[in-house]
Amino acid sequence: MMISPVKIWRRQKEIRSLLHKKGTVLSWTFIYAPPEEFKKNAPYAVVLVALDNGERAFGQLVECDKDSIKIGMPVYSILRKVREVSAEDIIAYGLKFKPYEKN
Amino acid sequence: MISVIGYYTTKFGELWEKSLFDLVEEALFGVLKECHIEKGKIDAIFFGNMMGGTLENNLHSPSKIAEIMGTHIPVFRAEAACASGGAAFHLAHTYLEANTGKTVLVIGAEKMTDYSPEEVISALTAASSGEEQESGLTFPGLYAMMAQVYLQKYNYSKIDLSYVSYKNHYHGSLNDKAHFRKKISLQEIESSPLVAYPLGVLDCSPISDGASAIIMTSDKTLLSKQKKAIRVLSTEVATDTISLKNRKFIDGIEATQIAGKKAFHKAGIEPDSIQIAELHDCFSIAELFAMEDLGFWKKGSAGKRISLLETMLNSGNSLTTNTSGGLKAAGHPVGATGIKQIGEVYLQLTKQAGSRQVKNAKKGLTHNIGGSGGTAIVSIFGV
Repeated sequence: MMISPVKIWRRQKEIRSLLHKKGTVLSWTFIYAPPEEFKKNAPYAVVLVALDNGERAFGQLVECDKDSIKIGMPVYSILRKVREVSAEDIIAYGLKFKPYEKN
Repeated sequence: MISVIGYYTTKFGELWEKSLFDLVEEALFGVLKECHIEKGKIDAIFFGNMMGGTLENNLHSPSKIAEIMGTHIPVFRAEAACASGGAAFHLAHTYLEANTGKTVLVIGAEKMTDYSPEEVISALTAASSGEEQESGLTFPGLYAMMAQVYLQKYNYSKIDLSYVSYKNHYHGSLNDKAHFRKKISLQEIESSPLVAYPLGVLDCSPISDGASAIIMTSDKTLLSKQKKAIRVLSTEVATDTISLKNRKFIDGIEATQIAGKKAFHKAGIEPDSIQIAELHDCFSIAELFAMEDLGFWKKGSAGKRISLLETMLNSGNSLTTNTSGGLKAAGHPVGATGIKQIGEVYLQLTKQAGSRQVKNAKKGLTHNIGGSGGTAIVSIFGV
Protein backbone atom coordinates (compact mmCIF):
# COMPACT_ATOMS: atom_id res chain seq x y z
CA MET A 1 0.00 0.00 0.00
CA MET A 2 1.48 3.34 -1.10
CA ILE A 3 1.46 6.27 1.30
CA SER A 4 0.31 9.40 -0.51
CA PRO A 5 3.17 11.95 -0.83
CA VAL A 6 0.63 14.66 0.02
CA LYS A 7 -0.14 12.91 3.31
CA ILE A 8 3.57 12.80 4.13
CA TRP A 9 3.91 16.52 3.29
CA ARG A 10 0.98 17.44 5.60
CA ARG A 11 2.39 15.32 8.43
CA GLN A 12 5.86 16.92 8.12
CA LYS A 13 4.39 20.24 9.24
CA GLU A 14 3.11 18.69 12.49
CA ILE A 15 6.29 16.73 13.17
CA ARG A 16 8.48 19.86 13.05
CA SER A 17 6.92 21.23 16.24
CA LEU A 18 7.54 17.96 18.10
CA LEU A 19 11.25 17.64 17.32
CA HIS A 20 14.10 18.04 19.83
CA LYS A 21 11.79 18.03 22.81
CA LYS A 22 12.56 16.40 26.14
CA GLY A 23 10.07 14.18 27.91
CA THR A 24 9.53 11.06 30.01
CA VAL A 25 8.25 7.59 29.10
CA LEU A 26 4.64 7.03 30.25
CA SER A 27 4.55 3.47 28.91
CA TRP A 28 6.43 1.22 26.51
CA THR A 29 6.27 -2.06 24.66
CA PHE A 30 8.43 -4.18 22.40
CA ILE A 31 6.78 -5.19 19.12
CA TYR A 32 7.61 -8.70 17.88
CA ALA A 33 4.66 -9.12 15.43
CA PRO A 34 4.72 -5.98 13.25
CA PRO A 35 2.48 -4.66 10.48
CA GLU A 36 3.64 -5.40 6.92
CA GLU A 37 5.49 -2.09 6.42
CA PHE A 38 7.56 -2.48 9.62
CA LYS A 39 8.48 -6.12 9.05
CA LYS A 40 12.18 -5.48 8.45
CA ASN A 41 12.61 -3.39 11.65
CA ALA A 42 11.11 -5.94 14.06
CA PRO A 43 11.52 -6.41 16.93
CA TYR A 44 11.47 -2.76 17.99
CA ALA A 45 10.55 -0.69 21.07
CA VAL A 46 7.71 1.87 21.02
CA VAL A 47 7.18 4.45 23.75
CA LEU A 48 4.37 6.79 24.78
CA VAL A 49 6.04 10.00 25.93
CA ALA A 50 4.86 12.96 28.03
CA LEU A 51 6.83 15.84 26.55
CA ASP A 52 7.96 18.55 28.95
CA ASN A 53 5.76 21.07 27.05
CA GLY A 54 2.65 19.11 28.10
CA GLU A 55 2.05 17.34 24.79
CA ARG A 56 2.10 13.56 24.35
CA ALA A 57 3.58 11.59 21.48
CA PHE A 58 4.27 8.04 20.30
CA GLY A 59 7.47 6.93 18.64
CA GLN A 60 9.99 4.12 18.38
CA LEU A 61 12.80 4.20 20.92
CA VAL A 62 16.22 3.87 19.32
CA GLU A 63 19.84 3.73 20.47
CA CYS A 64 18.75 2.12 23.71
CA ASP A 65 19.61 -1.11 25.48
CA LYS A 66 16.46 -3.26 25.61
CA ASP A 67 16.81 -4.08 29.31
CA SER A 68 17.15 -0.44 30.35
CA ILE A 69 13.72 0.70 29.08
CA LYS A 70 11.38 1.65 31.90
CA ILE A 71 8.41 3.87 32.72
CA GLY A 72 9.67 7.30 33.80
CA MET A 73 12.94 7.24 31.83
CA PRO A 74 14.00 10.54 30.21
CA VAL A 75 13.97 10.63 26.39
CA TYR A 76 14.14 13.25 23.66
CA SER A 77 12.59 13.41 20.21
CA ILE A 78 14.59 13.08 16.98
CA LEU A 79 13.85 12.90 13.25
CA ARG A 80 14.31 9.46 11.69
CA LYS A 81 13.15 7.46 8.70
CA VAL A 82 9.90 5.78 9.80
CA ARG A 83 8.41 4.03 6.77
CA GLU A 84 9.58 2.95 3.37
CA VAL A 85 6.89 0.88 1.73
CA SER A 86 8.81 0.07 -1.45
CA ALA A 87 11.98 1.27 -3.17
CA GLU A 88 9.93 3.47 -5.54
CA ASP A 89 8.00 5.28 -2.80
CA ILE A 90 8.75 8.53 -1.02
CA ILE A 91 10.52 7.79 2.25
CA ALA A 92 8.49 9.00 5.24
CA TYR A 93 10.45 10.68 8.02
CA GLY A 94 8.94 11.04 11.44
CA LEU A 95 9.34 11.08 15.17
CA LYS A 96 11.52 8.68 17.14
CA PHE A 97 13.00 8.92 20.63
CA LYS A 98 16.43 8.50 22.16
CA PRO A 99 17.32 8.15 25.84
CA TYR A 100 19.37 10.89 27.53
CA GLU A 101 21.02 11.25 30.90
CA LYS A 102 19.32 13.73 33.20
CA ASN A 103 21.83 15.78 35.18
CA MET B 1 -40.22 -4.71 24.69
CA ILE B 2 -37.52 -5.98 22.32
CA SER B 3 -36.47 -9.63 22.44
CA VAL B 4 -33.81 -11.87 20.95
CA ILE B 5 -35.60 -14.98 19.68
CA GLY B 6 -32.87 -17.06 18.07
CA TYR B 7 -29.16 -17.53 17.41
CA TYR B 8 -26.95 -19.37 14.98
CA THR B 9 -23.20 -19.32 14.57
CA THR B 10 -20.83 -20.99 12.16
CA LYS B 11 -17.80 -22.71 13.58
CA PHE B 12 -15.04 -20.18 14.29
CA GLY B 13 -11.54 -20.97 13.05
CA GLU B 14 -9.38 -21.24 9.96
CA LEU B 15 -12.13 -22.03 7.48
CA TRP B 16 -10.15 -22.18 4.23
CA GLU B 17 -12.96 -23.68 2.20
CA LYS B 18 -15.34 -20.78 2.95
CA SER B 19 -15.40 -17.16 1.75
CA LEU B 20 -16.81 -14.20 3.73
CA PHE B 21 -20.14 -14.52 1.95
CA ASP B 22 -20.25 -18.33 2.27
CA LEU B 23 -20.07 -17.74 6.02
CA VAL B 24 -22.72 -14.99 5.82
CA GLU B 25 -25.02 -17.31 3.85
CA GLU B 26 -24.64 -20.14 6.37
CA ALA B 27 -25.43 -17.84 9.32
CA LEU B 28 -28.35 -16.06 7.58
CA PHE B 29 -30.20 -19.24 6.67
CA GLY B 30 -29.03 -21.00 9.83
CA VAL B 31 -30.71 -18.48 12.13
CA LEU B 32 -33.93 -18.40 10.07
CA LYS B 33 -34.14 -22.20 10.33
CA GLU B 34 -33.35 -22.13 14.05
CA CYS B 35 -36.29 -19.75 14.65
CA HIS B 36 -38.62 -21.47 12.11
CA ILE B 37 -39.15 -18.08 10.46
CA GLU B 38 -39.68 -17.44 6.74
CA LYS B 39 -37.31 -14.88 5.25
CA GLY B 40 -40.36 -12.77 4.30
CA LYS B 41 -40.91 -12.04 8.01
CA ILE B 42 -37.62 -10.15 8.25
CA ASP B 43 -38.06 -6.36 7.90
CA ALA B 44 -34.37 -5.30 7.89
CA ILE B 45 -30.85 -6.68 8.26
CA PHE B 46 -27.93 -5.13 10.14
CA PHE B 47 -24.45 -6.40 9.27
CA GLY B 48 -21.36 -5.97 11.46
CA ASN B 49 -18.10 -6.24 9.52
CA MET B 50 -14.78 -4.43 9.75
CA MET B 51 -12.40 -5.45 6.98
CA GLY B 52 -14.48 -6.45 3.94
CA GLY B 53 -13.21 -3.24 2.31
CA THR B 54 -9.58 -3.13 3.45
CA LEU B 55 -8.68 -6.82 3.17
CA GLU B 56 -10.98 -8.23 0.52
CA ASN B 57 -11.83 -5.16 -1.58
CA ASN B 58 -15.50 -6.00 -1.04
CA LEU B 59 -17.63 -2.97 -0.21
CA HIS B 60 -21.39 -2.52 -0.61
CA SER B 61 -21.91 -5.74 1.34
CA PRO B 62 -25.58 -4.85 2.07
CA SER B 63 -26.37 -5.38 -1.60
CA LYS B 64 -24.46 -8.67 -1.63
CA ILE B 65 -26.47 -9.82 1.40
CA ALA B 66 -29.72 -8.88 -0.38
CA GLU B 67 -28.54 -11.00 -3.33
CA ILE B 68 -27.76 -14.00 -1.11
CA MET B 69 -31.07 -13.77 0.71
CA GLY B 70 -33.15 -12.91 -2.36
CA THR B 71 -34.79 -9.86 -0.83
CA HIS B 72 -35.33 -6.11 -1.31
CA ILE B 73 -35.51 -5.12 2.38
CA PRO B 74 -33.17 -2.47 3.88
CA VAL B 75 -29.71 -3.84 4.77
CA PHE B 76 -27.10 -1.76 6.60
CA ARG B 77 -23.45 -2.36 7.45
CA ALA B 78 -21.99 -1.08 10.75
CA GLU B 79 -18.26 -0.63 11.31
CA ALA B 80 -16.63 0.18 14.63
CA ALA B 81 -13.46 -1.95 14.43
CA CYS B 82 -13.79 -4.93 16.82
CA ALA B 83 -17.11 -3.51 18.09
CA SER B 84 -18.71 -3.74 14.61
CA GLY B 85 -20.99 -6.60 15.73
CA GLY B 86 -22.09 -4.76 18.86
CA ALA B 87 -22.68 -1.61 16.80
CA ALA B 88 -24.89 -3.53 14.33
CA PHE B 89 -26.87 -4.92 17.28
CA HIS B 90 -27.24 -1.50 18.89
CA LEU B 91 -28.48 0.06 15.62
CA ALA B 92 -30.91 -2.83 15.08
CA HIS B 93 -32.26 -2.24 18.60
CA THR B 94 -32.70 1.48 17.85
CA TYR B 95 -34.53 0.54 14.62
CA LEU B 96 -36.94 -1.67 16.56
CA GLU B 97 -37.53 1.02 19.19
CA ALA B 98 -38.61 3.31 16.36
CA ASN B 99 -40.69 0.65 14.58
CA THR B 100 -43.02 -1.47 16.71
CA GLY B 101 -44.17 -4.83 15.42
CA LYS B 102 -41.05 -5.41 13.32
CA THR B 103 -38.46 -8.19 13.15
CA VAL B 104 -34.80 -7.79 12.20
CA LEU B 105 -31.86 -10.06 11.57
CA VAL B 106 -28.45 -9.02 12.93
CA ILE B 107 -25.39 -10.71 11.53
CA GLY B 108 -21.68 -10.25 12.10
CA ALA B 109 -18.95 -11.83 9.99
CA GLU B 110 -15.25 -11.60 9.20
CA LYS B 111 -12.88 -13.47 6.89
CA MET B 112 -9.29 -13.08 8.06
CA THR B 113 -7.23 -16.17 7.29
CA ASP B 114 -6.84 -15.70 3.52
CA TYR B 115 -3.98 -13.25 4.23
CA SER B 116 -0.57 -13.29 5.90
CA PRO B 117 -0.44 -12.24 9.58
CA GLU B 118 1.39 -9.02 8.59
CA GLU B 119 -1.33 -8.09 6.08
CA VAL B 120 -4.07 -8.75 8.66
CA ILE B 121 -2.17 -6.77 11.30
CA SER B 122 -1.84 -3.83 8.85
CA ALA B 123 -5.57 -3.96 8.10
CA LEU B 124 -6.49 -4.11 11.81
CA THR B 125 -4.07 -1.27 12.56
CA ALA B 126 -6.12 0.97 10.23
CA ALA B 127 -8.45 1.29 13.26
CA SER B 128 -5.80 3.11 15.32
CA SER B 129 -4.65 6.76 15.07
CA GLY B 130 -2.31 7.91 12.28
CA GLU B 131 0.44 8.62 14.79
CA GLU B 132 0.10 5.16 16.35
CA GLN B 133 0.37 3.63 12.87
CA GLU B 134 3.42 5.75 12.04
CA SER B 135 5.26 4.54 15.14
CA GLY B 136 4.76 0.87 14.17
CA LEU B 137 2.27 0.18 16.96
CA THR B 138 -0.23 -2.68 16.68
CA PHE B 139 -3.28 -3.48 18.80
CA PRO B 140 -1.31 -6.00 20.89
CA GLY B 141 1.24 -3.17 21.28
CA LEU B 142 -1.38 -0.66 22.47
CA TYR B 143 -2.86 -3.12 24.99
CA ALA B 144 0.69 -4.05 26.05
CA MET B 145 1.31 -0.37 26.88
CA MET B 146 -1.93 -0.27 28.88
CA ALA B 147 -0.93 -3.50 30.67
CA GLN B 148 2.51 -2.10 31.57
CA VAL B 149 0.93 0.84 33.42
CA TYR B 150 -1.61 -1.40 35.23
CA LEU B 151 0.94 -4.04 36.25
CA GLN B 152 3.37 -1.45 37.61
CA LYS B 153 0.73 0.67 39.37
CA TYR B 154 -0.85 -2.25 41.24
CA ASN B 155 2.31 -4.28 41.64
CA TYR B 156 1.39 -7.27 39.51
CA SER B 157 3.48 -9.18 36.99
CA LYS B 158 2.95 -10.79 33.58
CA ILE B 159 2.09 -14.11 35.29
CA ASP B 160 -1.06 -12.59 36.82
CA LEU B 161 -2.50 -12.04 33.33
CA SER B 162 -2.21 -15.73 32.41
CA TYR B 163 -5.26 -16.81 34.41
CA VAL B 164 -7.60 -15.08 31.94
CA SER B 165 -6.39 -17.26 29.04
CA TYR B 166 -6.29 -20.35 31.26
CA LYS B 167 -9.95 -19.91 32.23
CA ASN B 168 -11.17 -18.97 28.75
CA HIS B 169 -9.40 -21.90 27.09
CA TYR B 170 -11.06 -24.23 29.59
CA HIS B 171 -14.45 -22.75 28.66
CA GLY B 172 -13.56 -22.97 24.95
CA SER B 173 -12.89 -26.69 25.36
CA LEU B 174 -16.62 -27.07 26.12
CA ASN B 175 -17.82 -25.06 23.08
CA ASP B 176 -18.01 -27.05 19.84
CA LYS B 177 -18.09 -23.81 17.77
CA ALA B 178 -14.87 -22.46 19.34
CA HIS B 179 -11.69 -21.90 17.31
CA PHE B 180 -9.58 -23.58 20.01
CA ARG B 181 -10.90 -26.49 22.03
CA LYS B 182 -7.66 -27.28 23.79
CA LYS B 183 -7.06 -26.63 27.46
CA ILE B 184 -3.74 -24.90 28.08
CA SER B 185 -1.57 -24.75 31.19
CA LEU B 186 -0.47 -21.60 33.00
CA GLN B 187 3.10 -22.48 32.18
CA GLU B 188 2.38 -22.69 28.44
CA ILE B 189 0.77 -19.23 28.59
CA GLU B 190 3.61 -17.62 30.55
CA SER B 191 6.26 -19.02 28.23
CA SER B 192 4.44 -18.43 24.92
CA PRO B 193 6.39 -16.41 22.30
CA LEU B 194 6.08 -12.64 22.73
CA VAL B 195 3.82 -10.63 20.42
CA ALA B 196 4.21 -7.26 22.17
CA TYR B 197 5.93 -7.31 25.55
CA PRO B 198 4.50 -8.22 28.08
CA LEU B 199 1.83 -9.97 25.99
CA GLY B 200 2.65 -13.40 24.59
CA VAL B 201 0.77 -15.18 21.83
CA LEU B 202 -1.37 -16.99 24.44
CA ASP B 203 -2.41 -13.61 25.90
CA CYS B 204 -3.86 -12.64 22.49
CA SER B 205 -7.06 -13.55 20.69
CA PRO B 206 -6.43 -15.29 17.36
CA ILE B 207 -7.07 -14.36 13.73
CA SER B 208 -10.28 -16.26 12.89
CA ASP B 209 -13.01 -16.67 10.29
CA GLY B 210 -16.66 -16.92 11.29
CA ALA B 211 -20.18 -15.54 11.15
CA SER B 212 -22.87 -15.28 13.84
CA ALA B 213 -26.49 -14.17 13.58
CA ILE B 214 -29.44 -13.41 15.84
CA ILE B 215 -33.07 -12.49 15.19
CA MET B 216 -34.70 -9.72 17.25
CA THR B 217 -38.30 -8.67 17.33
CA SER B 218 -40.71 -6.08 18.68
CA ASP B 219 -43.65 -8.06 17.21
CA LYS B 220 -45.77 -9.40 20.09
CA THR B 221 -47.56 -12.00 17.97
CA LEU B 222 -44.34 -13.45 16.65
CA LEU B 223 -42.78 -13.37 20.13
CA SER B 224 -45.69 -15.31 21.63
CA LYS B 225 -44.95 -18.18 19.20
CA GLN B 226 -41.28 -18.39 20.16
CA LYS B 227 -40.48 -20.79 23.00
CA LYS B 228 -37.01 -19.49 23.68
CA ALA B 229 -36.59 -15.73 23.97
CA ILE B 230 -34.63 -13.25 26.08
CA ARG B 231 -35.38 -9.58 26.65
CA VAL B 232 -33.01 -6.72 25.93
CA LEU B 233 -32.99 -4.73 29.17
CA SER B 234 -30.55 -2.08 27.92
CA THR B 235 -27.86 -1.39 25.34
CA GLU B 236 -25.53 1.61 25.59
CA VAL B 237 -22.64 2.91 23.51
CA ALA B 238 -19.83 5.22 24.63
CA THR B 239 -16.90 6.55 22.61
CA ASP B 240 -13.49 8.06 23.34
CA THR B 241 -10.40 9.37 21.51
CA ILE B 242 -9.10 6.99 18.83
CA SER B 243 -5.55 7.57 20.10
CA LEU B 244 -4.48 6.22 23.44
CA LYS B 245 -2.23 9.21 24.07
CA ASN B 246 -4.86 11.74 25.14
CA ARG B 247 -7.00 9.49 27.36
CA LYS B 248 -7.54 10.47 30.99
CA PHE B 249 -6.00 7.15 32.07
CA ILE B 250 -4.71 4.05 30.30
CA ASP B 251 -4.88 1.48 33.11
CA GLY B 252 -8.52 0.89 32.20
CA ILE B 253 -11.08 1.95 29.58
CA GLU B 254 -13.21 4.99 30.34
CA ALA B 255 -15.70 4.26 27.52
CA THR B 256 -16.52 0.94 29.25
CA GLN B 257 -17.14 2.77 32.52
CA ILE B 258 -19.51 5.24 30.85
CA ALA B 259 -21.43 2.68 28.76
CA GLY B 260 -21.58 0.23 31.69
CA LYS B 261 -22.93 2.79 34.14
CA LYS B 262 -25.64 3.88 31.69
CA ALA B 263 -26.56 0.26 30.84
CA PHE B 264 -26.95 -0.73 34.51
CA HIS B 265 -28.96 2.43 35.23
CA LYS B 266 -31.33 1.84 32.31
CA ALA B 267 -31.79 -1.85 33.17
CA GLY B 268 -32.42 -0.83 36.78
CA ILE B 269 -30.02 -3.39 38.22
CA GLU B 270 -26.62 -3.51 39.92
CA PRO B 271 -23.56 -5.48 38.74
CA ASP B 272 -24.17 -8.13 41.43
CA SER B 273 -27.43 -9.14 39.69
CA ILE B 274 -25.51 -10.50 36.66
CA GLN B 275 -24.72 -14.24 36.55
CA ILE B 276 -23.06 -14.45 33.16
CA ALA B 277 -21.02 -11.96 31.14
CA GLU B 278 -19.29 -12.15 27.79
CA LEU B 279 -16.41 -9.69 28.06
CA HIS B 280 -14.14 -8.34 25.33
CA ASP B 281 -10.92 -10.27 26.12
CA CYS B 282 -9.07 -9.38 22.90
CA PHE B 283 -5.98 -9.55 25.14
CA SER B 284 -5.73 -11.03 28.66
CA ILE B 285 -5.37 -7.58 30.25
CA ALA B 286 -8.64 -6.46 28.60
CA GLU B 287 -10.77 -8.87 30.66
CA LEU B 288 -9.21 -7.54 33.87
CA PHE B 289 -10.02 -3.97 32.76
CA ALA B 290 -13.60 -4.99 31.89
CA MET B 291 -14.14 -6.58 35.33
CA GLU B 292 -13.04 -3.37 37.05
CA ASP B 293 -14.53 -0.84 34.63
CA LEU B 294 -17.97 -2.50 34.73
CA GLY B 295 -17.92 -2.43 38.54
CA PHE B 296 -17.76 -6.20 39.12
CA TRP B 297 -14.40 -5.89 40.91
CA LYS B 298 -12.72 -2.97 42.69
CA LYS B 299 -10.09 -0.97 40.75
CA GLY B 300 -6.69 -2.64 41.12
CA SER B 301 -8.06 -5.91 42.53
CA ALA B 302 -8.57 -7.85 39.27
CA GLY B 303 -4.96 -9.04 39.07
CA LYS B 304 -5.44 -10.84 42.38
CA ARG B 305 -9.03 -12.01 41.99
CA ILE B 306 -8.45 -13.56 38.55
CA SER B 307 -5.74 -15.78 40.08
CA LEU B 308 -8.41 -17.25 42.36
CA LEU B 309 -10.37 -18.17 39.18
CA GLU B 310 -13.52 -16.71 40.76
CA THR B 311 -15.25 -16.32 37.38
CA MET B 312 -14.54 -19.83 36.06
CA LEU B 313 -17.38 -22.24 35.36
CA ASN B 314 -18.52 -24.15 38.48
CA SER B 315 -16.34 -22.04 40.80
CA GLY B 316 -19.38 -21.65 43.04
CA ASN B 317 -19.36 -17.86 42.76
CA SER B 318 -22.22 -15.70 41.51
CA LEU B 319 -20.64 -14.53 38.22
CA THR B 320 -19.15 -16.62 35.39
CA THR B 321 -17.40 -14.82 32.51
CA ASN B 322 -16.75 -15.79 28.90
CA THR B 323 -18.36 -19.23 28.91
CA SER B 324 -18.06 -19.23 25.09
CA GLY B 325 -14.29 -19.24 25.53
CA GLY B 326 -14.19 -15.49 24.99
CA LEU B 327 -12.32 -13.94 22.09
CA LYS B 328 -9.25 -15.82 23.28
CA ALA B 329 -10.47 -19.40 22.78
CA ALA B 330 -13.76 -19.10 20.85
CA GLY B 331 -11.85 -16.99 18.32
CA HIS B 332 -12.18 -13.41 17.13
CA PRO B 333 -13.63 -13.04 13.63
CA VAL B 334 -13.87 -9.31 14.31
CA GLY B 335 -17.37 -8.44 13.03
CA ALA B 336 -18.88 -11.69 14.35
CA THR B 337 -17.60 -11.31 17.94
CA GLY B 338 -20.22 -8.83 19.21
CA ILE B 339 -23.03 -11.05 17.90
CA LYS B 340 -21.49 -14.28 19.22
CA GLN B 341 -21.33 -12.65 22.68
CA ILE B 342 -25.09 -11.94 22.56
CA GLY B 343 -25.68 -15.45 21.20
CA GLU B 344 -23.79 -17.00 24.11
CA VAL B 345 -25.88 -15.02 26.61
CA TYR B 346 -28.99 -16.17 24.71
CA LEU B 347 -27.91 -19.83 24.96
CA GLN B 348 -27.14 -19.47 28.66
CA LEU B 349 -30.36 -17.66 29.61
CA THR B 350 -32.51 -20.13 27.59
CA LYS B 351 -30.64 -23.13 29.06
CA GLN B 352 -29.22 -24.37 25.76
CA ALA B 353 -25.53 -24.07 26.66
CA GLY B 354 -24.97 -27.80 27.19
CA SER B 355 -21.88 -28.78 29.15
CA ARG B 356 -20.96 -25.12 29.81
CA GLN B 357 -24.43 -24.21 31.16
CA VAL B 358 -24.39 -21.87 34.17
CA LYS B 359 -27.15 -22.91 36.57
CA ASN B 360 -29.92 -20.40 37.31
CA ALA B 361 -28.61 -17.72 34.99
CA LYS B 362 -31.31 -15.03 34.83
CA LYS B 363 -29.38 -11.91 33.78
CA GLY B 364 -26.50 -11.61 31.34
CA LEU B 365 -24.22 -8.85 30.05
CA THR B 366 -22.18 -8.36 26.88
CA HIS B 367 -19.21 -6.01 26.55
CA ASN B 368 -17.80 -5.27 23.09
CA ILE B 369 -14.84 -2.94 22.51
CA GLY B 370 -13.59 -1.25 19.35
CA GLY B 371 -9.88 -0.53 19.04
CA SER B 372 -7.99 0.35 22.21
CA GLY B 373 -11.24 1.60 23.79
CA GLY B 374 -12.47 4.21 21.29
CA THR B 375 -15.88 2.47 21.24
CA ALA B 376 -17.52 0.48 24.04
CA ILE B 377 -20.92 -1.22 23.81
CA VAL B 378 -22.50 -2.72 26.92
CA SER B 379 -25.82 -4.55 26.75
CA ILE B 380 -27.87 -6.29 29.44
CA PHE B 381 -30.34 -9.12 28.89
CA GLY B 382 -32.85 -10.96 31.08
CA VAL B 383 -35.44 -13.73 31.13
